[in-house]
Amino acid sequence: MEIKAISPQSMTMQNIATKETIPELIIEEVSKNYKLLHRHRLTKENIHIGRDYHNDVILADPHICPSHLSIEFIDGKWKIIDHQTVNGTFIENVKHKKHAANQYIIQDGDIITLGKSQLRMVFNNHQVSPTLAFSPFESFIDLMRHPIALFLSILLFTIVAGGVFYFNKPTEVNFSQLLVPAIGMTLGFTIWPAGVSLVSHLSKHDARVMTQLGVSFAFFNLMWFSDILETIVTFNSASNAILPMIIMLISIALAFSLFWLNSYIGFHMSARRRIIIAASITGLLFGGSYLVRYSNKPEFNPRPQYDATIMMPNFLVAPSSSVDSFIEDSSKLFDKTSKEAQKK
Amino acid sequence: MKAFLTLVFLLLSSSIYATEQAEQLFNQLKPSLYQIKLIDKASGEKSSIGSGFQISADGIIATNYHVISSYALHPKKYRIEYLDSQGNKGDLSLQRVDVINDLALVSRTSQPDMPYFKLSKTTPQKGEQLFSLGNPHDLGMIVVPGTYNGLKKESFNDRIHFTGSINSGMSGGPVVNKQAEVVGVNVATSGNAIGFLVPHDKLVTLYKAFLTTAQGSIEEQMSEQLLANQEKLMSEILNSPWQAKQLGKQAIIPIIDVPFIRCWGDSNADKADALILTAIANCSLDENTYISSRFFTGSMEIEFRTMNAKNIGANKFYQLYQQQIAHAGASNRAGKDNVTEYQCHHDLVKPENNAINNKSIFCTRAYKKFPNLFDILYLSASIDKNKEALVSHFTVAGINQENSLAFTRKFMEAVSWK
Repeated sequence: MEIKAISPQSMTMQNIATKETIPELIIEEVSKNYKLLHRHRLTKENIHIGRDYHNDVILADPHICPSHLSIEFIDGKWKIIDHQTVNGTFIENVKHKKHAANQYIIQDGDIITLGKSQLRMVFNNHQVSPTLAFSPFESFIDLMRHPIALFLSILLFTIVAGGVFYFNKPTEVNFSQLLVPAIGMTLGFTIWPAGVSLVSHLSKHDARVMTQLGVSFAFFNLMWFSDILETIVTFNSASNAILPMIIMLISIALAFSLFWLNSYIGFHMSARRRIIIAASITGLLFGGSYLVRYSNKPEFNPRPQYDATIMMPNFLVAPSSSVDSFIEDSSKLFDKTSKEAQKK
Repeated sequence: MKAFLTLVFLLLSSSIYATEQAEQLFNQLKPSLYQIKLIDKASGEKSSIGSGFQISADGIIATNYHVISSYALHPKKYRIEYLDSQGNKGDLSLQRVDVINDLALVSRTSQPDMPYFKLSKTTPQKGEQLFSLGNPHDLGMIVVPGTYNGLKKESFNDRIHFTGSINSGMSGGPVVNKQAEVVGVNVATSGNAIGFLVPHDKLVTLYKAFLTTAQGSIEEQMSEQLLANQEKLMSEILNSPWQAKQLGKQAIIPIIDVPFIRCWGDSNADKADALILTAIANCSLDENTYISSRFFTGSMEIEFRTMNAKNIGANKFYQLYQQQIAHAGASNRAGKDNVTEYQCHHDLVKPENNAINNKSIFCTRAYKKFPNLFDILYLSASIDKNKEALVSHFTVAGINQENSLAFTRKFMEAVSWK
């Protein structure tokens, strides 16, 4: 244990020692949106960059000259020398706008543009971001990925789906008639985690299919539960009650958490970015379904829109109002509609 | 053989006599009969046709409200034109409407010595022969003989049951007795030679009111009449006995004991595979006041439904039960120009006698042109039994707030479990 603890320290010391003698520059090839494509660690005083094969950094970009530029270490500083190239070399950093880079002294983190490519210059003492700790969800994720937990949550989902079909079918049904839609629905819901896994696989991240499945189905089950809760609350409350609205927020929160976890599992990204992505998918889902409903809404609806939620007496917890108070509350509608009628 | 011949001769002669009489009457009355056309100003073509007849020397012509309804609601879009027996045309101006009895008075420029119809002072006898006049389908003026069969019992506002073919386009034409006196006005048909007439006394009342009282705008007249009619109807309904009747095994429902509300029943007891045994009682007021082709009012519908679960659990029963009550709608036709959208209130309600616990929904929409008139809809679903349910539901069109609430209250208190 002790040896391990010491060894990185000694390596750092070694680095400092080498820095004094041989200069070291790290050149990163980055894409247009600064994604790292390639990294070169160069330990020499004269670095040549260009398209032909004698260069230290060989770039395939056809807009770059065969011998495009060189970087020289003079008096402890790196200086760019552009070899009168066709398309030029440009520097871009926080302080300066884009300008020609010939004779420029490189600062740590500078990005130079040559042809259509970009290179980032990094010194070996460049500050890196602090280590990311594991999220507190990690243990939850580990639990959900476990085959038994995964099996149980998919089973629960299938049973609930079958139950929903059974309850809504006005004719007699047997078990096998329920099996097909229940399994069908389960498979349908598998598309989401599978899709996320596929995208993370394609974007060179770990697919982690089991984890995505486990987490997604755990949340799908939570969503069933919040649905039932919402129904119970709606059933027990009168018009204009606030509680059902609050309950509706739960399902939005659940959806957000699911998307957050999906991106946490599938992709490496900053916490802020993850929140933005999860929030946008949630917004797209709920906002989109609201938009669809809104656009389908006829200009005038001759049918009344009311809440018809009823449940068996066991779910009834709220006390009933008297006829008097119902009549009283209903009478307010007349003023409301009369006002509406006077509007032109 | 001799007797048979006599019979044939008798029959023949009487039918010849009737034909002659009809022809004579027709020729006599022809000059005061008009075809009434609504001309769309923009296109210059007729948009609807009906019949009318002159009832005074100074050019007052009676017709149906529904013949000129488009003009009454959109006077800028149309004009009213008459066509008399000689082919003369001229403009008419709308004077009065009686929207409840579907009557209207229009006037033409008067000329000296214009003949006109006399309104009868008596009601006909059952079986009496009458003659309906009018211009069906724009085919020209015709006379249709038929029989007086008394007043339609089920209707709240009197209508004569006339056995004879009345066709569209004859609306607003007069029906006369053998003395050529008007006893009714053609208004509706239900096919197969069953026709309905507005009794002449409604026309007399309207004409007298026209002569004696000042007139508001057409819209004000309609508004006043609709309000008065619902007041009359609802006070009769609220003051008549409501009989408690058993529906299904356990439910007690009110049956309003008035002749103009008729009930029908149905059940699915014959369907062996049904999961829920349903019995339905449906009562309705056979009345539909025509305001425009897209707006009717004055109707009323009451429905009760009991449901008993057969071989299913309470959870499934309630799920299916909810589907049954999720799509209630208005019983009258009305559009965006005439009414607002419905606004609803729902709550759990238990009447004072604790006999039932319901989820009740009350919805209303207001009329845009007639202040203080509403359509209401009530729907109540029992939620206190595991495998048994009672749905009570009604809609009333064209009712004011006070009557709405009084009726709703009485209705809610009359529905219960045994």
